[in-house]
Amino acid sequence: MSTANLPLLSPQLLAQLERLELVTRKIFRGRMKGERRSKRKGQSVEFADFRSYVPGDDLRFIDWNTYARLDKLFLKLFLEEEDLHFYALIDASASMDFGTPSKLEYAKQLAAALAFIGLKRADRVKIETLGQSVRNPGRMWRGRQNLWPMLDYLDHLEPGENVSLAQGVKNFCLRNAGKGILVLLTDLMDKQGYETALRYLLSQQLDVYVIQILSAEELDPDLKGDLRLVDCEDADIAEITTSAPLLKRYKATLAAFIDGAREYCSRRGMNYLLANNQVPVDQLVSNYLRRRGLVR
Amino acid sequence: MSVMNMLSWWQWAILGAVPPAIVLLYFLKLKRQPLEVPSTYLWHKSIEDLRVNSIWQRLRQSLLLLLQLLLVALAIVALLRPGWMGAEESGGRYIFLVDNSASMGADDVKPTRLEEAKHRVGELIDQMVSGDVAMLVSFSDSARIEQLFTDNRRELRRRLDEILQTNRSTSLGEALRVAAGLANPGREFEIQNNQVAEGMPAKLYIFSDGRFPDVEGFSLGNLEPVYFCIGRDDVENIGITAFSTRRVEGKEDQLQAFARLENCGSVAVKADVELTLDGSLVDADKVDLKARGSGAVVFNLSDIHTGTLALHLRSGGALKADDQAWAAVNPPRHSRVLLVTPGNETLHLALTTERALELAEVSLAKPEVLETKQYREQAAGGAYDFIIYDQCRPREMPQANTLFIGRLPPTGWSALEKVVAPQIIDTNAAHPIMQLIELGGDVHFAEGTPLKPPTGSTTLIESSAGVLFAVAPREGFEDAVLGVEILGTNEKGEQYRNTDWPLRLSFPVFVLNVLDYFGGNRESATSASVAPGRLVSLSPTGSADSLTVKTPSGKTVKVTRGQSSVANFTGTDELGIYEVLEGNKVTQRFAVNLFDSFETDIRPREKVRIGYSPIEGQRQWKGARRETWKALLLLAIGVLLLEWYIYNRRVYV
Repeated sequence: MSTANLPLLSPQLLAQLERLELVTRKIFRGRMKGERRSKRKGQSVEFADFRSYVPGDDLRFIDWNTYARLDKLFLKLFLEEEDLHFYALIDASASMDFGTPSKLEYAKQLAAALAFIGLKRADRVKIETLGQSVRNPGRMWRGRQNLWPMLDYLDHLEPGENVSLAQGVKNFCLRNAGKGILVLLTDLMDKQGYETALRYLLSQQLDVYVIQILSAEELDPDLKGDLRLVDCEDADIAEITTSAPLLKRYKATLAAFIDGAREYCSRRGMNYLLANNQVPVDQLVSNYLRRRGLVR
Repeated sequence: MSVMNMLSWWQWAILGAVPPAIVLLYFLKLKRQPLEVPSTYLWHKSIEDLRVNSIWQRLRQSLLLLLQLLLVALAIVALLRPGWMGAEESGGRYIFLVDNSASMGADDVKPTRLEEAKHRVGELIDQMVSGDVAMLVSFSDSARIEQLFTDNRRELRRRLDEILQTNRSTSLGEALRVAAGLANPGREFEIQNNQVAEGMPAKLYIFSDGRFPDVEGFSLGNLEPVYFCIGRDDVENIGITAFSTRRVEGKEDQLQAFARLENCGSVAVKADVELTLDGSLVDADKVDLKARGSGAVVFNLSDIHTGTLALHLRSGGALKADDQAWAAVNPPRHSRVLLVTPGNETLHLALTTERALELAEVSLAKPEVLETKQYREQAAGGAYDFIIYDQCRPREMPQANTLFIGRLPPTGWSALEKVVAPQIIDTNAAHPIMQLIELGGDVHFAEGTPLKPPTGSTTLIESSAGVLFAVAPREGFEDAVLGVEILGTNEKGEQYRNTDWPLRLSFPVFVLNVLDYFGGNRESATSASVAPGRLVSLSPTGSADSLTVKTPSGKTVKVTRGQSSVANFTGTDELGIYEVLEGNKVTQRFAVNLFDSFETDIRPREKVRIGYSPIEGQRQWKGARRETWKALLLLAIGVLLLEWYIYNRRVYV
């Protein structure tokens, strides 16, 4: 089921990702100077505006040429360039180990693609899984040179973490209090519901993207006969006899579930995206995420 | 609809346990396949939604179960062998006797009785199972094997369709002998290489209206007869059972036509009859017919010399074949008689009496004529009806009836030593030639030659020395030989009287009898009616080798005559007038009529007797037992295929 032998990022995809950058609609103050042009004014080579000098301003920014011409002190303002926090939170539960490619594989590819964009633009990138404990925060990467360690880290992520979505998100929030972009890669299939988990994220000043990854088998199940369905996480059993009404009912339930998640997210200012594991990652990134404004 | 129980109770018990077992297995869900899924979260939600719905949903889910139950139900019903009960028997060997005589043409059973019989036979053929063999025989006055024992139902069907309606009378005997010959071989029938096959019991189905005489002296042996009586009891029919004409005594140009009608119905009727001559109406009459009675009608006709008389019966009931009758009026004709004698005054005198001349046209010839070519051609060509050889004999026998006086024919006959004064002991007064002739006592013969006639001959005069007068048949003719001479010739060549018979009254009576018997009886104006299917012997008037017979339907048949002067015509299956043409001239006519009271009385006979066993007719035709188990099993296979299709193609309903 694993496609680990395939590189997470193909050269073609890398070439494609080179041109992209991560965007956030919220204004975040970066901790370090980055390559991202900020809406705030600051120090950079790019001129933004003038303003009158008030006592206390840094004398280094006074435009002496204007002073010589107008005998007034003006301050030259430059656009600030800053860095961004990019968090990718991957659900590595057993249920993610389904589909071809598996949902986890797909999540890893997506995380790698987005993280690469971040690294390239000198953003701070952090990739974590839901199963990580509070005391074990993940590594922060910055700069292109960290691409390979990051990919290596992703490669070694294994499915089978047994933690609920809410607990995982709560742990993440406790570990990382900063601002930035959070991409939650999960199938949202948690019997306790996803609402609690997302509510934790709301409390953070994060630009949240919820990408629900579902396999083709879940979206359009190809089942027949009398079956005993076993839940891979809690070994729960559902006995079904496949029939047209049942499959119709399942699809309706699935649609309702997806719609519910989408509405829940949009009401709370989160971005929701449904990803089918049959849609290639490059297409998802360059089409869907671009349209949603996560990348530019 | 009926069923046949094929299983015992415990087998039924096992079978009855199958459907509950299927349901049980279905609800126990013994064979649910486990399948690991990422999450059962949504599935649980879906199932709960469905459970809220009615039991119908469950039934819809269990389509495969329902199909399986249907399959088992069909198999169980098929095991019951349901069918429409009929006359089906099993046993293997069947003989179907189908009556195609005239009375089977009655339309009281639509379309006709014969068609109904064929339909029933067809049903029996259809229900034959593999291994069964059947023979098909059609019978009227003779039997015809349409198909020998075969298990080829298609062939039997084809042969059955080929059975055609005839106008013949009915006789079951021959058909029974044919059937018995094949069912009880060794008794009456040997198959070709003289091996006597073992007698096999067979079921004999007789499809008839029973209008045939009971069969006497026949033992059914291995045959088990079943008689299906076809026809309705309340059938009405009137038929002509006789129609003849004769010339009025002394008035050559006057003709009387006589017809007899029979009514087999249960109500008295007034029958309208019309008489036509060559298609134009001549006379009409009404005949009162009592219920199950008969009546006669006489028509007096004048100025009719030749032509075709037809009698039509209006509203003649169910059978059409007996509603018309025909008679051919032939021109009056004398028979031609040749007397070959060296001279016999008394005989010549007896042949030229007024009464004798009414009967025949007598020519006289000397014995020398026998050597001429002209005589030989005339004799061989049948130019004479009757030739008398007195004191002479021909080299070859002529194509005519003959009377030899004092000589033996060249072939067949032989004689003992000549005796003197034979005494007449007995005469055969029952024979037409010897009628009204008393010879004992007052007739004496000087000498005579006792005869040794050929086999099959009839002795007419027996003397103390042996047979003196006998008549024997020869290829359609008859030869009479008188062992005594009337005029003898002694060694000196002088004639002498051998007998005093010519002085007696019995002599001219004898000559008239001979003329009447051998050549004279041309008195009836119409030739006798021929029964359908019977052979007609036609004697050409000229010397032509072949005749053409034109049938009522206009078909022409060429008939050649063989060694004898008569031509035999057998194709008399149609009713009506047949014309005989020599060259292009119609020289004779004859009529073929049904004239059979047995056929006209078409009321079906419920009970017939074959030998000593009476057989009750089965009236109620229950139809063949139509088995449906094959159709049910086919349906079950169809259900199985549907189930398989639904399971595989996931045809969701």
